[in-house]
Amino acid sequence: MENKPKLKLAVYWGAACGGCCVSVLDVHEALFDVIAAADLVFWPIALDFKYKDVEAMPDKHIDITLFNGAVRNSENENMARLLRQKSNILIAYGSCAHMGGIPGLANMYDKASLFRRVYIESESTVNENGTLPQPRYEVPEGVLTIPEFYNDVRTLDQVVPVDYYLPGCPPQTERLVEVFMAVVKGEALPPPGSVVGAREKTLCEECDRKKSDNKVIKKIYRPWEIYDDGETCFLEQGVICLGPATRGGCGARCIKGNSPCRGCYGPPSESIDPGAKMMSALATMIDAKEPEEVEKILEDLADPSGTFYRCSIPASLLRRKMIT
Amino acid sequence: MEEVKIGVYVCWCGTNIAKMVDVEEVAKEIGKYPNVVIARDYKYMCSDPGQELIINDIKKLGLNRVVVSACSPRIHELTFRKALEKAGLNPYLFEMANIREQDSWVHTDRVEATRKAKDLVRAALHKVLFHEPLSERTVEINPATLVIGGGIAGMSAALEIAGAGKKVYLVEKMESLGGMMARLDLTFPGLESARDNLQLTVARVMKDPNIEVYTNTVIRDIFGYVGNFECIISPNFKEDISLQFGNVVVATGLKTFDPSVIPEYKYGQLPDIYTSHEFEGMLTSGRIVRKDGRPPENVAIIHCVGSRNRNYHEYCSRVCCMTALKYANQLRSALPEANIFEIYADMRAMGKGCEELYSLSSRRKIMFLMFDQQGPLPVIRKAGSRDKCDYLITLQEKLSGQDIEVPADMVILMVGTEAREDAKEVAHQVGISMCGNAFFIEKHPKLDPVATTTNGVYIVGSCQGPKDIPDSISQARAAAARILGTIAQGSVTVEVTTANVNEELCCGCQTCIKVCPYTAISFKEEEKVSFVNEILCKGCGTCGSACPTGAITCRHFTDRQLINQIEGLMRMDVEPELKEV
Repeated sequence: MENKPKLKLAVYWGAACGGCCVSVLDVHEALFDVIAAADLVFWPIALDFKYKDVEAMPDKHIDITLFNGAVRNSENENMARLLRQKSNILIAYGSCAHMGGIPGLANMYDKASLFRRVYIESESTVNENGTLPQPRYEVPEGVLTIPEFYNDVRTLDQVVPVDYYLPGCPPQTERLVEVFMAVVKGEALPPPGSVVGAREKTLCEECDRKKSDNKVIKKIYRPWEIYDDGETCFLEQGVICLGPATRGGCGARCIKGNSPCRGCYGPPSESIDPGAKMMSALATMIDAKEPEEVEKILEDLADPSGTFYRCSIPASLLRRKMIT
Repeated sequence: MEEVKIGVYVCWCGTNIAKMVDVEEVAKEIGKYPNVVIARDYKYMCSDPGQELIINDIKKLGLNRVVVSACSPRIHELTFRKALEKAGLNPYLFEMANIREQDSWVHTDRVEATRKAKDLVRAALHKVLFHEPLSERTVEINPATLVIGGGIAGMSAALEIAGAGKKVYLVEKMESLGGMMARLDLTFPGLESARDNLQLTVARVMKDPNIEVYTNTVIRDIFGYVGNFECIISPNFKEDISLQFGNVVVATGLKTFDPSVIPEYKYGQLPDIYTSHEFEGMLTSGRIVRKDGRPPENVAIIHCVGSRNRNYHEYCSRVCCMTALKYANQLRSALPEANIFEIYADMRAMGKGCEELYSLSSRRKIMFLMFDQQGPLPVIRKAGSRDKCDYLITLQEKLSGQDIEVPADMVILMVGTEAREDAKEVAHQVGISMCGNAFFIEKHPKLDPVATTTNGVYIVGSCQGPKDIPDSISQARAAAARILGTIAQGSVTVEVTTANVNEELCCGCQTCIKVCPYTAISFKEEEKVSFVNEILCKGCGTCGSACPTGAITCRHFTDRQLINQIEGLMRMDVEPELKEV
């Protein structure tokens, strides 16, 4: 390894919470292996680099870029395009880059209603003039610009071609290290477009809870509404768990913390729309004969889009709510 | 990787499609799409020359996908699949766009209908791109047959099959064979003894060594598939027996309408108002008398009770008019002095000898009075003390246009017929469908009247709709011929568009198991994955839509194929992908 040139690694964030960057920091002592094998050439959260440093790099200069966060504004998009141009391998890192993630829930609204809520109506806001962010504003000293806020949240691959997806909210750090070390060791890479650092099978396979073929739901509970017995399949207790529709590989961390799966690892390869898949599956579990009974049970399903598509609205078949 | 070459054929169906859809325009437009090598329109695609067109194009142009836009696939999908096969192409690399039932027949605007036809063809085009070759499978036929129902239809089918030397299990819920016919005195139009004919049939059934009769027996469960069915029965509601058979004849019959729901007729409130079936019993006993023992001087027979009336059943029960004439004639012979009134809505004397019975009856001093089925029904009320009869029936007589009163001491209500209460249960057990009136649905109303959409299950007699005895027997024998045909072949082709579990993806959540209506899915404990028995699977797709992982694929209806089809329909111009054939 000594004689090999070091890999050039970049980490960047779009519309993200910072958790993905923290998950990179979470490599702990494996950091020594990483640093021995790679140079960090761009990582604004940890190291002082500027846009111009990246712009100055020759094309394909970076070996691997971990891009986390969704594409919500013009800065996210410009950086996605720039890093695509400068990187050999571009990895959509984490649920937001992969499927839109939590920021993607904003696709249930449009730009105008979001601005109205955030800058005018929110309880803690005083904005008597109704001032809204403008991408361009002239002041005596010159012109101020901020990135343009888009109407839609997009996934990274809806903006630039992506080589691999490393899912999770955030990805489990061990999976990152495995993928990284595979590249370092020069192992054969999977075909472009593959999901890496996750399993082919969905979470149920690695979930220890007791499951049966008799999944019947008479009442839907939110996790805080029920005493979880800690052993039985959440769905069989009436708690919506996205485990059956979500790739494993996370180590069932949420389940082990007695919380149902929220779907952050995304769908397995043959599933086109995990939210739709999970809704269809759930429909077969509702234990009712008459349509009115079904309606009544479903009344307890708080926020269906936020439940079934918590991490995946922009990547779903419909991509957003139609707002007319 | 072979280039996808699609041939598109737009059928005129004579004028059926061409009068409402500009078929030439559709073919011209679709011909512009990528991968479409040839797009033709032709008068009758299903005709031999039409099929030849496809076969020649496949051979000459090297087509590897075919779209025919014509009628419903229920009618001709098989025809065209066979044409593909003849040309050496896998029959499943074919898709049909229905521009007749779903377009030309239901629209009146030619421009819009033409546009819709293009959309439907484009949808088919997008789907066929993702079709994969499938291979057909055959299964051996168990030569035994289960007949459900021991009425005249069921017994006739049993005798016909047993007569060819094949085993029949005849299961009847009641204590004895005979069904509805056992309740009849004479049959119309010849006024022959129903009992003599029936007893002859029952005796033949009981003597036939190939027929095992189980009376007082209900079927608990039927599972399996064409050629290899199995059922559990409980003869005399005691021990369970399992039977194996290859085909099923459903001959469960019907029941009579309960007239107490019609307020005008006061059935159950006044003593001498009888249903036709109660009167039949009186005829069998040989004594036509009122409840108090006196013979009636005035008898009124009211037709269409519960039939041909939107408040009850819209359909005609078919046998009541002729039965009513039979009663009038029997009454005339038994009570030469009595006044007999036929109060009818329309006289349906269809069938051999029936019109003759009608005209004979009209010469036997029987009074015919007509009422309008769309107007108010005749009303029966108790007569006053000064009237020389027990009841008075008021009606608006249609032919004279007058309101009249008819005296009666006895009223016979010609009750219609309806599906049995347990029809739904039977339908579920054998996997067949019911129409809105709960009668079972045949595979094709004209071309396949005794088969059903479930292979190996046939419906005969009045469980399919009201029928007289000769029609029931004809159906029974038709079904017997079909069954003997498959038995003679020894094997039958089964569904290939089945569900399949990708074990690499199945997480073992077991969501699919309970949704399967055919109990075709089981759980492999060791591997912790679900398994579809593809012989039991009917390809209904329920498990595929329930599977949250995408591990279950329903062949020929994959998510990819359906989503692409929708995209085609929505005119989303997706670049057709090249696919390996």
